[in-house]
Amino acid sequence: MLELSGLFQWIHAVASGLFSSLGLSEIFLDIFLMTLAGAAIIVFLALMALFLIWWERKVAAHFQDRLGPMMTGWHGWLQTIADAIKLLQKEDIVVANADRPVHFWAPVVAFASCFMVYAVIPFGKGALAADLNIGILYILAITTFTVISIVMAGWASNNKYALLGGMRSASQVISYEVPLTLSLMGAVLMAGTLSMGQFVEAQGPYIWKWYIWPQFLGFAIYLTASTAELNRTPFDLPEAEQELVAGFNIEYSGMKFAMFFLAEFLNMFTVGAVATTIFLGGWQPPFPALSFIPSWLWFLGKSLFIVFLIMWFKWTYPRVRVDHLLGFAWKVLLPLSFVNLILTAIAVQIF
Amino acid sequence: MSEMIDNVPLTEEEFLLNMGPQHPSTHGVLRLVLKMRGEFIEDVIPHIGYLHRSIEKIAENRTYAQFMPYTDRIDYCASMPCNLAWALTVEKLAGIEAPPRAQYLRVIMTELNRIASHLIYLGVMSLDLGAFTPFLYAFREREMILDLFEMTCGQRLTYNYMRIGGVARDIPPDFASKCREFTRIFRKRVDDYEAILTNNPIFLTRTKNIGVLPIKVGLEYGASGPTIRGSGHNWDIRKAEPYSSYDKFNFSVPLGKNGDVWDRYIVRVQEMRESCNIVDQALDGLPEGEIKAKVPGLFKPPAGEVVMRIEAPRGEMGYYVVADGTTKPYRVKIRTASFGNLQVLRYLSRGYKIADLVAIFGSLDVVLPEVDR
Amino acid sequence: MGYFKEIASGIYNLLLGLKTTAKYLPRPAVTLQYPKEKMPMFERSRGIVVLLSDPETGELNCTACMLCAKACPVAAITITQAKDPVTNKRYPKTFEVNNLICCFCGLCEEACNFDAIKLAGKYEFATSDKQSLVFDLAKLQELGRDVKYEKKRKAVARKPAAKAEPKEKTAAAVPDPEPQAPDSAAGSGDTV
Repeated sequence: MLELSGLFQWIHAVASGLFSSLGLSEIFLDIFLMTLAGAAIIVFLALMALFLIWWERKVAAHFQDRLGPMMTGWHGWLQTIADAIKLLQKEDIVVANADRPVHFWAPVVAFASCFMVYAVIPFGKGALAADLNIGILYILAITTFTVISIVMAGWASNNKYALLGGMRSASQVISYEVPLTLSLMGAVLMAGTLSMGQFVEAQGPYIWKWYIWPQFLGFAIYLTASTAELNRTPFDLPEAEQELVAGFNIEYSGMKFAMFFLAEFLNMFTVGAVATTIFLGGWQPPFPALSFIPSWLWFLGKSLFIVFLIMWFKWTYPRVRVDHLLGFAWKVLLPLSFVNLILTAIAVQIF
Repeated sequence: MSEMIDNVPLTEEEFLLNMGPQHPSTHGVLRLVLKMRGEFIEDVIPHIGYLHRSIEKIAENRTYAQFMPYTDRIDYCASMPCNLAWALTVEKLAGIEAPPRAQYLRVIMTELNRIASHLIYLGVMSLDLGAFTPFLYAFREREMILDLFEMTCGQRLTYNYMRIGGVARDIPPDFASKCREFTRIFRKRVDDYEAILTNNPIFLTRTKNIGVLPIKVGLEYGASGPTIRGSGHNWDIRKAEPYSSYDKFNFSVPLGKNGDVWDRYIVRVQEMRESCNIVDQALDGLPEGEIKAKVPGLFKPPAGEVVMRIEAPRGEMGYYVVADGTTKPYRVKIRTASFGNLQVLRYLSRGYKIADLVAIFGSLDVVLPEVDR
Repeated sequence: MGYFKEIASGIYNLLLGLKTTAKYLPRPAVTLQYPKEKMPMFERSRGIVVLLSDPETGELNCTACMLCAKACPVAAITITQAKDPVTNKRYPKTFEVNNLICCFCGLCEEACNFDAIKLAGKYEFATSDKQSLVFDLAKLQELGRDVKYEKKRKAVARKPAAKAEPKEKTAAAVPDPEPQAPDSAAGSGDTV
């Protein structure tokens, strides 16, 4: 019905007609369409970031028996825009003796790397920008950019506490990369491919064929490791206010701080999108009978559900201490993800 | 801040870290100077006095009745026990006894305030550890208690409810039903807090075997209340030296086993439950009668000195009053629980990291107005 | 074995925590959106100090007996007394309550024998001008016009002319109830 594939075919037809009438060759058409796709994704994600920040505040408030922002627009939906305007007009303070180029580029790296992942995520039926046959590998590689931006931010602030916080955060993210990757490998074994588009195809049309049921352990490990990657409670010691070492972004103000903040929320959505594609069947409805609801709506719904789970964890659990955090990653999550992988490998061979 | 502590210069690997007066997790204005070796804390020096208001000196210029609002502000998280201690001290000095109804009302109010104070502890402790939600749940329950107080005496934090010889006003007619409603709801809510925190593996790793306080050390430093009961020392003034009809109620005193942060937490949670029981019993057995004994307008207690102590939510609270036969005391000395409890911090936090320091300090339940007066 | 048991019990308790917070998600909020929705104050709420007037005649009940000024622990009340030569009734010529000092303890209300002073449930007095928080007689009376009160205390008949009556008495601080004897080193009449 309201499928995105119809819209894309229409755009392709119009554009190719336009370009051929202007006498330009194919390659310009391709470049134009790719730029358009990139721009569309960026716009969508920017709006999604604004929405997610508002949603987090509302979800947190409702867990706590209160209402959250109510004054700016209907139930405060303009609050994020108001906050963004406020941050835009703040003075951009750079600490004395800070490493200026690094200081400038750290939030850019963090923010830009969020968008790069979405080239391979299937938003709906026929709405996959680039169906790389190494999709998962590409995603895991790009999400590691976060570490670089954290280390850059910690270094550039010329502040020993920011540096310590940055180092701690970097060690946390690196430690949790391993169980994250391994937990996804179980699903990769089952699907037999690294390509995201084929992952969705492989998880047949019914809800009981989704990979979450056989890979429940993998899903749980993925969710836990992602929460640690995102530096969210219960793993947000590097950015906790109550501790002295207040994290890598203490010296950032104004829009640069907003970039880190938005990057965290976009990464949350990335985690949701990847989990949806790999474990929850992507853009497919649970039963084919429900396919009158467009596929991108299913995708959004499932991703936002995962995001809601991550928010739920944040507002329920206390914080884990840094040595426990690393111990947890190496002593609990890693063995469990190995167990998951071995069992999956055996099961795939047998069945 | 010179590079010396106790006149011992720092070695090369040590450095001083200042958790300044304004900090989210020092509950109040307290300055902690930490001597750190890398990640580990070697020594903690608290610098107090930022909230000193000379209450003891002011007492020398106010009559005994006029001093009551000042006692509210000694510990504003638990005003009723501070009021009660002052009333009991002056009554002991002058040989007055409050009528039975007044004593039961005092018990109800004090126990409700104990619950309110422990709710603050619960909320702030979990906030320090990173769990943001129990803080709001605790304050939601606290709203119910504060409504009860506002119904009775008109204020929500600094009550000025006790008077020398009794209480200021009688409870309104709908107090009993609302109070019973509160205790009924509250018992279930405490189960909720326990579900979120008590056996949560994250909470356990943050609090078990952290900050173990041996009883002997605690007593030497003057710790009291749940801080020392968490280590297993069975001393509760409500049982040991009962005042204001506490001997008529049936309640138990929870004790901890190891004396770590978790034990102090669980002692306070169980104390909240026990306080609910006491409030219910007091409401059931509330006698009729006067709410205030006759005290002359120009109240001049006989000259002498008196010491009286009670079990405040944070520990032992007491007054030492020297009277000289006039309407104003000659000297008032206030012994507060948080002063002793804060001293234990230095012993407890050696060898731990800053994250643990936050947990330990939260578990001592120190409020700075009590420390500085 | 204990390793797996620990993991299992950990997972169970984590899920229990999630269930507890989820229980409150669908419940309505317990907060009020303040400027639009205000909490109704209780009858005994102690807010600002007001002066009460007789509901029929509109006259102040206060006779400037200074008991409230003496009872106030922080000396926030300043009164000067005058006597109406016609009716021989005492009334306050000036009555000032310094709300910057008042601690809302209610001791003045308790001390009054004439139902003249009360702590009403009003609390919205934020202003950017400090001096406007010192309320004078007119303002106090105006604030007290719509405050309902019960005539709980009967006016105590004052003993007629036992002492010489000075035309004006001023109580500005915490005075000694007894005459200025060098009794205590605690000092007297210290203004807070």
